[in-house]
Amino acid sequence: MKPKQKPTYNMWQNTGFMLRLAWKNCRSVPALCIAIALASAGKTVVQLLIAPGILSKVESRSPISELLIAIVLFSGALFLLSGLEAFFRLNSSFGRIELRSRCIQMIVDKVASTSYPNTMDTAFLNMRSKADEACSNNSSPTQHIWDIWTDIITNLIGFAVYLVLLSGLHPLLLLVVVGTTAAGYFINQRINGWGYRHKEEYAAYWKQIDYLQHTGTNREGAKDIRIFGLRNWLDEIWNRTITLYRGFLERREKVYLWTNIVDLLLSLCRNGIAYAYLLWLALSQGMSAAQFLLYFGAVSGFTQWVTGILDQFTQLYRESLDLSTVREFIDWPEPFNFQKGDPIPDGSKGYEITLEDVSYHYPGSDRAIFSHLNLTIHRGEKLAVVGLNGAGKTTLVKLACGFLDPDEGRVLLNGQDIRRFNRREYYTLFSAVFQDFSVVEATLEENVAQKMEKIDEQKVWRCLEEAGLTEKVRSLPQGLQTHIGRRVFEDGIELSGGETQRLMLARALYKDGPVLLLDEPTAALDPIAENDIYQKYNEMTAGRTSIFISHRLASTRFCDRILYLADGKIAEEGTHDSLLKMGGGYAHLYEIQSQYYQEGSEYHGKAAENILR
Amino acid sequence: MEKQPKISFAEAFTLNRRAAKLLWDKRPGCFISIFLTNALRAIAPYLTIWLSARIIAELAGGRDPQILFRWVVITLVSEALIALAVGLLTRWTNVEKQSLRPIGDHIYAEKMMDLEYADVDRQEVYDLYSQIRQYDNWNGWGILAVRDIFEYAVNAVFQVLGGAVLSVSLFTRMLPADSSLAFLNSPLSALLILALMLLIVAASSFCSHKRYGYYLTMGDDVLYGNRLFNFWADTITKERGRAPDLRMYSQMENIGDLYLAYNNSFTTSSRIAKFAKGPMGMWEGLASGIAVILTGVVYLFVCLKALGGAFGVGEVTQYVGAITGLFLGLNNVYKAGNHLQLNATTLRLSFQFLDIPHKMYKGSLTTEKRSDRQYEIEFKDVSFQYPGTDYWALRHVNLSFKVGSRLAVVGQNGSGKTTFIKLLCRLYDPTEGEILLNGIDIRKYRYDDYIQIFSVVFQDFKLFSLPLGENIAGATCYDRARAEQCLRDAGFTGRLSKGLNTYLYKDLDSEGVDVSGGEAQKIAIARALYKDAPFIILDEPTAALDPVAEAEIYSRFNDIAGDRTAVYISHRLSSCKFCDEIAVFDGGKVVQMGSHDQLLAETEGKYAELWNAQAQYYTEPAEGEKP
Repeated sequence: MKPKQKPTYNMWQNTGFMLRLAWKNCRSVPALCIAIALASAGKTVVQLLIAPGILSKVESRSPISELLIAIVLFSGALFLLSGLEAFFRLNSSFGRIELRSRCIQMIVDKVASTSYPNTMDTAFLNMRSKADEACSNNSSPTQHIWDIWTDIITNLIGFAVYLVLLSGLHPLLLLVVVGTTAAGYFINQRINGWGYRHKEEYAAYWKQIDYLQHTGTNREGAKDIRIFGLRNWLDEIWNRTITLYRGFLERREKVYLWTNIVDLLLSLCRNGIAYAYLLWLALSQGMSAAQFLLYFGAVSGFTQWVTGILDQFTQLYRESLDLSTVREFIDWPEPFNFQKGDPIPDGSKGYEITLEDVSYHYPGSDRAIFSHLNLTIHRGEKLAVVGLNGAGKTTLVKLACGFLDPDEGRVLLNGQDIRRFNRREYYTLFSAVFQDFSVVEATLEENVAQKMEKIDEQKVWRCLEEAGLTEKVRSLPQGLQTHIGRRVFEDGIELSGGETQRLMLARALYKDGPVLLLDEPTAALDPIAENDIYQKYNEMTAGRTSIFISHRLASTRFCDRILYLADGKIAEEGTHDSLLKMGGGYAHLYEIQSQYYQEGSEYHGKAAENILR
Repeated sequence: MEKQPKISFAEAFTLNRRAAKLLWDKRPGCFISIFLTNALRAIAPYLTIWLSARIIAELAGGRDPQILFRWVVITLVSEALIALAVGLLTRWTNVEKQSLRPIGDHIYAEKMMDLEYADVDRQEVYDLYSQIRQYDNWNGWGILAVRDIFEYAVNAVFQVLGGAVLSVSLFTRMLPADSSLAFLNSPLSALLILALMLLIVAASSFCSHKRYGYYLTMGDDVLYGNRLFNFWADTITKERGRAPDLRMYSQMENIGDLYLAYNNSFTTSSRIAKFAKGPMGMWEGLASGIAVILTGVVYLFVCLKALGGAFGVGEVTQYVGAITGLFLGLNNVYKAGNHLQLNATTLRLSFQFLDIPHKMYKGSLTTEKRSDRQYEIEFKDVSFQYPGTDYWALRHVNLSFKVGSRLAVVGQNGSGKTTFIKLLCRLYDPTEGEILLNGIDIRKYRYDDYIQIFSVVFQDFKLFSLPLGENIAGATCYDRARAEQCLRDAGFTGRLSKGLNTYLYKDLDSEGVDVSGGEAQKIAIARALYKDAPFIILDEPTAALDPVAEAEIYSRFNDIAGDRTAVYISHRLSSCKFCDEIAVFDGGKVVQMGSHDQLLAETEGKYAELWNAQAQYYTEPAEGEKP
């Protein structure tokens, strides 16, 4: 049950954090907590007093007018307090949601902007899921903490009031009440610890259930499930999981039954003592029935307050652990410089990027991708990078554009180490089309301009034209305002693979960065579309420093220089012709690809295999 | 989302009953346990009320220690026994309720897997399902909500019953005729007081209803807001492929944050929050405040009767407790009815989804598992439109191929290649024309039987985050030796620590392997081989591969296909050379058909155009001039 290590922030610090957040964004939130607590505790006190208060009038045969006044007073108080409490509660949710949204926003901004290597770090990703959980809904810690504090304040007020009420009784009775309540609490804590100790098992069942549910209801696997008749298999696994899950629940509830037994024994004990003592007071000291009712009610109520205080502080402690993860995530160290850095050098004459003695290996892997690599991409040069999967092509681009920092060596922009720039400013230099891309659920225009304000519509049309997408956009009734994607907008459209490629191209054109990066951008296209896109890229590279990665060796012909990467080294470099003449790895690869296209050459499987060896 | 017409209570009840029946069939124990637990829970407080009234009565009256002692012991013992019974029942109910959650959700998964592919593929079906999910996420409405409404209703009904039983005598016990309050004896005064109480309950419900109306005004905004939020706060930051663009184009700062800022459906600046400070808050406060006035009225009536001498102090506590409980119960019954009606809106969507019928004709012929694998497929004048479109994805396709042959299908994106495959393995039926297997319309075969003869590796094939061997065999029990053989045949060389038992991906097992695109493709091919169907179809299997891996697949192609009939779809025309016949698709039609050499000879044809677009890079004299 005990956390393995102390959380970075304790519950008081986390409460302070939330209060500061509230102070900055929504000050009504803590104020409403206090208001609700006052109304709610007040209501409970009135409810306690109402029966004995009115009953005493009946018992003492008071005049009807007195009875009426008592009833009206009590009802009026209840009306007011209930009404106010409901009003406050209704209004409290908005500010709390707003503050939780602020927390989510902080997490999202962190993920979206964090140093790229963090996005591959499982520790970072795990911390993110935990931080997310702390913000996922209205009962998550970042919102629920306000409920907890409201309850704590309510219970404390109630506790104080009842303490005064009960002060006329023997202190030993109070001790019994507090003692049995606390004992019950601590014993139940231990019993309920079972759930805490088995939460991994619980989570594992749900992971599996959620996965199977997602698989079953998702379109992605629908074809395979039908063609390969996979339903029985998936159902069998699901049934197995459900049986195990139910077994788990049965085990858990059997253990938890003990909390009921402990509770009933202790309350038997507590009530027995309270009855005995109060009856003795009534019989020997002449306490009235109304007073008996008041005190007996107060004893039960007092138990509730004590339990409430203990429960809520436990809850606060528990949820504080989750709040701590939110803060630790937001404070996760950034290896890159996102603060003010050196100014980016003037690029009017173009940029030169140099990899100087660069070594790199991915964290958690002992295989070096590069060791002591040297490469200069000259101003305005069109550089192509080719090689097999795993040769390090993408890594090279990521090092050059500042997604990864080398383990050793430096990356230089016009001679200056890029680590000295604000990394975000550095990114503005690049127009990039990566293998995977992020088409956002927004309008077409926003997808091209990649912003929402001050969009130059003329320029958007120009870029669409250059990317060969004008015709398509003109055919859409909403034109530039057409929503892309259907996940957010019900009237959104889905673009085909080729259209998406062109949209990405238009986007890169709009950004108009001085350095162009193209990482295998045509994999899903048919030959004619592919050829067309190559032509466009060729036009685009004019006047820019550019890096182009492709599997299709021949498509790199328009480049000034081709690097052939193998095993983390620049195995060969030169122009297409010089590399072919060299007769090395590049020439081999080229031969493999081109043999199918050579007029009249007969394909022989064996021939290909020979080349491979 | 168009506005749904209002649902009558009768219809709402029927819908909820149908949903309850669905769940009852899966787990009747859930409803039984909920019934028993909540009946007891609702009744138990009345027992306490009655017993403590006896003690108070004795205290206010005779004060006989022996009688008091007896009542106290009875109270303590019965409370303990009830607590034990409630404890036991609650534990049982917890097991039932919590295990029903995944079962209730799975109803949708079962339907989705049972739907015809044409329906799964339809955007409206998918949207319908997302809408159902959204309602479930937003406020818990849907099939499973029936479980909670039932629980609520049982509790409310027994609250009413218990309260009624304990309070009947309040009206039957008379004041002495000489009392100044004797008018309370008349049935009219009793009716009046009951009417007053009902009025209070009605007024409170009315206020509550008024308040709820403000939420309804924002229904669709919320759903839109949720989707927006899911995309920008979840999807975009979790799909790893987006990470580079997110940074290069500052997507979150420039677009996401602004969209998220628009979405203020529940914040302090939202419309609803303004209502909450004003009229909506007033209604809410009134609803709550008016409800407690009931207590005052109950006290008034009961105390007056007591003052007049109808009964003693002890009974006052009993009647106040009982009547308050009774009206609380009535209020809850009303709320349960309300929930039924609210839930019905979502249930209508749920059943709209669950009632999607099977439309394909399914014949009864068996495909007779021929050991000689002698099959012949023929497309006769086949045309096809996707449902809801008026665009011919395929038009007048005539084509036939025989067992053991190698057919290549080429064409540009959108030319109908993949649609052709979908029709061939009957994921869709042709709009016009027919497809024949050994001369018989494929619709006349048993569907399960027919689909058995195809193995397909789709372009967007899907592997599951489950053990490798099970993925290949599609079953938990399988022939391990054969699975391994298939992996080898597919050219899979990866070494895995736990062999066939290794989980793919890390979703369900932290020690699972993240296979690369190329390896995944080989596993998918192994799965197709394991099925050992007479037809094997490969849809663009080399897109994710580098030239060497691509060449390897080509070189193994003949081995992979073996004596099966193979259909090969590709953008890379180079792969067609080893096919016996090539069908060139353009704009939904088969424009050319023949061997590579024949087709290339037709210099003005589509095939030549496609070929040259790629081949120019390889065949032009390499002088370094720009293409």
